[in-house]
Amino acid sequence: MTANRRQMKLGAFLWATGHHIAAWRHPNAHVTAGIDIDHYIQLARTAEAAKFDLIFCEDAAGLREANIAIASQTSRSIGFEPISLLAALAAQTSHIGLVATASTSYNEPYGLARAFSSLDQISGGRSGWNLVTSASHIEAANFGSTGLRPHSDRYERAREFATVVAGLWHGDGANALNHDGRNFSVRDPLDLPPSPQGAPVMVQAGASDEGRDLAARTADVVFTAAQTFEEAKAFYDDLKARLVACGREPDDIKIMPGVAPVVAASEAEARAKVDELQELIPDDVGVALLSSYLSTDLSAYPVDGPLPELPATEGMQSRQALVVEQSRRDNLSIRQLARHFAGARGHWRVVGTPAQIADELQARFEGGAADGFNVMPSYFPGELDAFATLVVPELQRRGLFRQDYEGRTLREHLGLKKPVRK
Amino acid sequence: MSRERTMHLGISFSPGSGSAAAALDFGLFAQLVQKAEANALDMVVFADAAPFEATTLVAALATVTSRIGLVAAASTVAHQPYNLARRFASLDVISHGRTGWHASMTQSPLEAANFSRPDGFSPDGFRRRTEEYLDIVQGLWKGWDTDALLFDKVGGRFHDPAKMHLLDHKGEFFSVRGPLNVARSPQDTPALVMSSLSASDLDIAARTADVVLTDEVSPESAKLFHDDLTARAAACRREPDAVKIFVTLEPSGTPAETADRLEARFQSGTCHGFNIVLPPQMAALDDFVGGVLPELRQRGLARYDYAGATLRANLGLAGGGAS
Repeated sequence: MTANRRQMKLGAFLWATGHHIAAWRHPNAHVTAGIDIDHYIQLARTAEAAKFDLIFCEDAAGLREANIAIASQTSRSIGFEPISLLAALAAQTSHIGLVATASTSYNEPYGLARAFSSLDQISGGRSGWNLVTSASHIEAANFGSTGLRPHSDRYERAREFATVVAGLWHGDGANALNHDGRNFSVRDPLDLPPSPQGAPVMVQAGASDEGRDLAARTADVVFTAAQTFEEAKAFYDDLKARLVACGREPDDIKIMPGVAPVVAASEAEARAKVDELQELIPDDVGVALLSSYLSTDLSAYPVDGPLPELPATEGMQSRQALVVEQSRRDNLSIRQLARHFAGARGHWRVVGTPAQIADELQARFEGGAADGFNVMPSYFPGELDAFATLVVPELQRRGLFRQDYEGRTLREHLGLKKPVRK
Repeated sequence: MSRERTMHLGISFSPGSGSAAAALDFGLFAQLVQKAEANALDMVVFADAAPFEATTLVAALATVTSRIGLVAAASTVAHQPYNLARRFASLDVISHGRTGWHASMTQSPLEAANFSRPDGFSPDGFRRRTEEYLDIVQGLWKGWDTDALLFDKVGGRFHDPAKMHLLDHKGEFFSVRGPLNVARSPQDTPALVMSSLSASDLDIAARTADVVLTDEVSPESAKLFHDDLTARAAACRREPDAVKIFVTLEPSGTPAETADRLEARFQSGTCHGFNIVLPPQMAALDDFVGGVLPELRQRGLARYDYAGATLRANLGLAGGGAS
């Protein structure tokens, strides 16, 4: 391996019992993950021992599923709040980056900038903020709103929010910020010491046009969901072009699509692992998720029968049409289609041996469709362990991933410039 | 008056400023808190001040300690009630039931200026808002019953939906549906610590607080305060001693003199313990735990070990707060 060869970045996306909707029911899944900090400490140490760039936590300020009967059959109604979780993990790790999601819709920029600065102090420069806007009605009801803001309002607020946070992080700590905008007013500089990495890393995940523009202007890392190489490549090229149009260098943003790997010594074993998880999806959970995706209530149709003729609705988009088409082509029952859909969650799933998975990642990485990947194990701890012990050594052997950390801060891991304080 | 024989002891570190604050690293805080824990002190109360934001500091400290209570200040202006309740609920799961929220009843003009409230609140408006806020937070903390989680892999039942409760709060300042997406606290709810109480805040504190921090005043004023708060708490149907009064003071003089001062105040029956203010330096903590504490123990006034595993157990608090 050559010393200067470009290497991929890897994130470990930690999510309670696992990314598969039925992960918690797997015999080897740690079912009390959402109330067990030691479980998360173990996952963080596994990821750090495998030299991952970062661990990542998503977030919602409320329940994820409005249907209480469906929610009670998944493990996602309870868990840790990410900023406190990552602060706890900071004290139990030494190198790995710590990225938490937080919404611009229901926070204030001064408080959020402060919390991530503090996480940066505690961790010695390893924190990152994944900016999201909230679209969920469930979240809105916890914050006194009568209804959701239209998309552009949410993004207008997000843009101003990101500007204020960047101003606070990049400020010299002495001069007043004196921001007086449409959504926020913030007078003072941040009252915490300067960041050990210049400023916490700014992460974004929005795929819409407005989301991409905001990312091109302010993000250091972008997470994305892309099923196919073409989709991933198109997103990659579009975002890097927008970046250059904003006067930034193409390498100033690391694009890390999500990948849901299922790895085993043989391909047959890997396929068997997928089937085992798919079997665990309760019919009503799978059917409810599929119904909501297709905007049609399928609960009244026989679950072993075919998908009924669906009216062409306005909500039906091209990707949903593909789901319908697939069910017809492969002659799938509602149950089979529901399981197929619920299990993958729209992310890129790669199933196979360590070499097969490394091949797939290498093709996207070297084909200019990704700078790295956000790894979404189907259940914890087993599938993170499997990726760390089977796939990571294969990537290292090929010179595609680091053997050891080169630096101590998240910016150093990611090869990002240290911002200059003004 | 029936009360505990030994006093409760908490530590607060006086905030550093400027370069002094920048010199404080997480490692020093960890060592200080571990030393306090080795000496079985009830809790450390953290101001929300440089170099750390208090809730993140407490989260990190929770993983390097196992018995001591960790109380963080967090402002009702800086956080939405749902977010604050959720942060502390999460801290309480991380710490296995050792956290408390220190809520202040006075508004900081500095915060208003940085949290899009340049005009602040009127004193009365702020009080009504804070009272509503406290009720929301304590209500959200009870959204999940202690036995709500089933973890039934085979039956496919993760939780019992009948044991998850919406708050459905609609008030003058906030509307919050709930529930939190964090499990019930291992100590029922995080402890609520209040300070900076004016006369018109006493009913709120009597109804909701678990711990009240007060300044050191004359014995007569201290008795009036104690009796007044106790009567108001009784009027809210709370048990005697449901609200623990801690007197905030800085040690001065010899260890024996400081112990005399604490003993006299404690034996007067007007407080349950003390919030000892020290500079964030190991030498200052050593002086207290190596000088004053042994003196108090010798007199039978301070514990040698923890009474329980949670902050509530150590403070002798029942679960809850407002009911």
